[in-house]
Amino acid sequence: MPRASALECPGCPSLRALTTDALGLVKVVEARGKVGTPKVVETWGPPDASRGVLAASFADRKIDPLLAIARKNCLVEFLNPLNGDALATTKVDESDSLNGALKNDQFVGLHLFRTKKIELSSRLAVFLTCTEKGKACLRSVALRDAPADLHTDSPSSWNICTSGNVTCSSVDNTENYALFGGKGIEVNLWDLSKCSKIWTAKSPPSNSLGIFTPTWFTAATFLSKEDHRKIVAGTASHQVRLYDISAQRRPVISVSFRESPIKAVTEDMDGYTIYVGTGSGDLASFDMRTGKLLGCYVGKCCGSIRSIARHPELPVIASCGLDSYLRLWDARTRQLLSAVFLKQHLTNVVIDSHFSAEG
Amino acid sequence: MGTGKRKKSDDGEVEAAAERRGGGGERVKEKKQMVLPSLIKNKEKRSAVHAKLKRDKRIEKRKKAKAQEAALQRALEIGEEPPPKKVPRTIENTREPDETICKPDDEELFAGNDADEFSEVLKQDVTPKILVTTCRFNSTRGPGFIEELLSVIPNAHYYKRGTYELKKIIEYAKNKDFTSIIVVHTNRREPDALLIINLPEGPTAHFKLSNLVLRKDIKNHGRPTSHKPELVLNNFTTRLGHRIGRMIQSLFAQDPNFRGRRVVTFHNQRDFIFFRHHRYIFETKEKKADPKDKAAKGAKEKNAPPQKVIARLQECGPRFTLKLITLQHGTFDTKGGEYEWVHKPEMDTSRRRFFL
Repeated sequence: MPRASALECPGCPSLRALTTDALGLVKVVEARGKVGTPKVVETWGPPDASRGVLAASFADRKIDPLLAIARKNCLVEFLNPLNGDALATTKVDESDSLNGALKNDQFVGLHLFRTKKIELSSRLAVFLTCTEKGKACLRSVALRDAPADLHTDSPSSWNICTSGNVTCSSVDNTENYALFGGKGIEVNLWDLSKCSKIWTAKSPPSNSLGIFTPTWFTAATFLSKEDHRKIVAGTASHQVRLYDISAQRRPVISVSFRESPIKAVTEDMDGYTIYVGTGSGDLASFDMRTGKLLGCYVGKCCGSIRSIARHPELPVIASCGLDSYLRLWDARTRQLLSAVFLKQHLTNVVIDSHFSAEG
Repeated sequence: MGTGKRKKSDDGEVEAAAERRGGGGERVKEKKQMVLPSLIKNKEKRSAVHAKLKRDKRIEKRKKAKAQEAALQRALEIGEEPPPKKVPRTIENTREPDETICKPDDEELFAGNDADEFSEVLKQDVTPKILVTTCRFNSTRGPGFIEELLSVIPNAHYYKRGTYELKKIIEYAKNKDFTSIIVVHTNRREPDALLIINLPEGPTAHFKLSNLVLRKDIKNHGRPTSHKPELVLNNFTTRLGHRIGRMIQSLFAQDPNFRGRRVVTFHNQRDFIFFRHHRYIFETKEKKADPKDKAAKGAKEKNAPPQKVIARLQECGPRFTLKLITLQHGTFDTKGGEYEWVHKPEMDTSRRRFFL
């Protein structure tokens, strides 16, 4: 007998998610109603591979939300996530592109500050960028409708490392600390107010056979909102590690997960659950208090997961990656709520939590 | 004991049969036909019932076909439109709807195609140059297959594998301006996998290779010339299929030499990619008075030219089947690689779901 089963997607609660892809497009996906099917409602930007999005950051505010995207051609763009207006564009490394040596340096991390400089009626965007070769840069840019006399601070930049490739970076919730890690770079924590390194991890000892696994971090995040001392990192040797900077330099917990590199790590609101996505499309959640696998998210996910986003209020997570699908999952039951085909290799997903179906 | 038990159950059935017999006269007959032969325990009776059922079925079928034929004849005589021919339902034409199937009016698809890794070759900015190598242990059918592969793909160069790592080979090929690497993997002296790596940026496709028939095992095979072949890619419909199709396309020269009359076919059917290699010829032939055709084409024959052109095919080999296992983003990297597509068992929810 032919087995013909329809895709059972219960539909997801009303939400709005923005995805960026390798072709430089920003797509807005909205689901309306109690159990709506999400649809692409808007697509911003012309398709152009040289403008492919590498990193995105979203200031999720009730008033004046802002979306920052770092493109392949060294541009950082600021968009209004409600209507897609470009508010500002800056070329970050003007000085570097001149000498040519750093031409092939690309953005890996971008963070848009949400709380800093809010008193200036948020017409000034402060952001932190980080490139593959380890150049971090903290700067601010005036948005288009800013008053003319607004002065922007001179950018402060520093080198994270001299060798190796940075692949992941993250900023904690208070936005005072940033962490970086990468291929050949141990996870290190920086104080952003002083631009100084305050902590570096130490690689785990070689195993009983004397084999040392080379350092290669592929994803990292802070574990909880309040605490900047706990860091979760994923490695290319398919390990999820928990670091506690107040305890020791080596990982407190280290768990192996499947057999492909961990490509995305995102923390939950509760401060101990994390979501992990791998290079072959496995998505799972871990309880980092014990290091136990809570469960896998099973749903025909067939390409590497590049980004995971957690909805701040609803128990919904969104994942996207190279299989060109944006998938929405129930965080509690680990059920696939719905999947949207977005045609391109997706790089980032962010969730706009202040979206209401009526608005 | 066993026989006793069986007798008992037999008795039960006899009783049940008797009960059925108790009903109305016509209903009995109906009921009797309804009894499945597999439920009858006596083998002779069972086979008799089965044979009868089979015979009835055959008669029914013949009757149906005859009725259809008669309807068609009648329609032809009256000059009416003949009844529509029924299309058989196959797995392909009842394929599950898939939103990833490419539409011809999709702007994003073309923009994406323009930007992908193969566009340089496909726009003829770069001529494809292929490196063919093997796994480390290679014997018997492997070299034979590679020899034929070299004759199929123009500008392909065989390099001995030696003990080099594949990553080193990729570095080497990048420096030598190769555009693709093909690795033939052999298991138990039989080629069983094909790895196609597009250079310099990937992707890497891993295919299972099966049903390999080499040229000398094909009856009435031809010898291919060294002209650049034409390429036929069939049924690559989805996004993934397009990508694989473009990858295969980028292995071949984009300017076929039509004088060579060689054609290489990659036909996708139910996610299996069938490879065939043919020579073709157009021949003008005196029209034969074919008794069968005469009736059908009676009117047509009068004004048709006395000569007709027919195309003949001759297979040149090799002949094999590919099935995609993984498609990896970037060049070959098993440890740190990201996959664009991996086949997982949970994706097999239906026989009617295809990915290419």
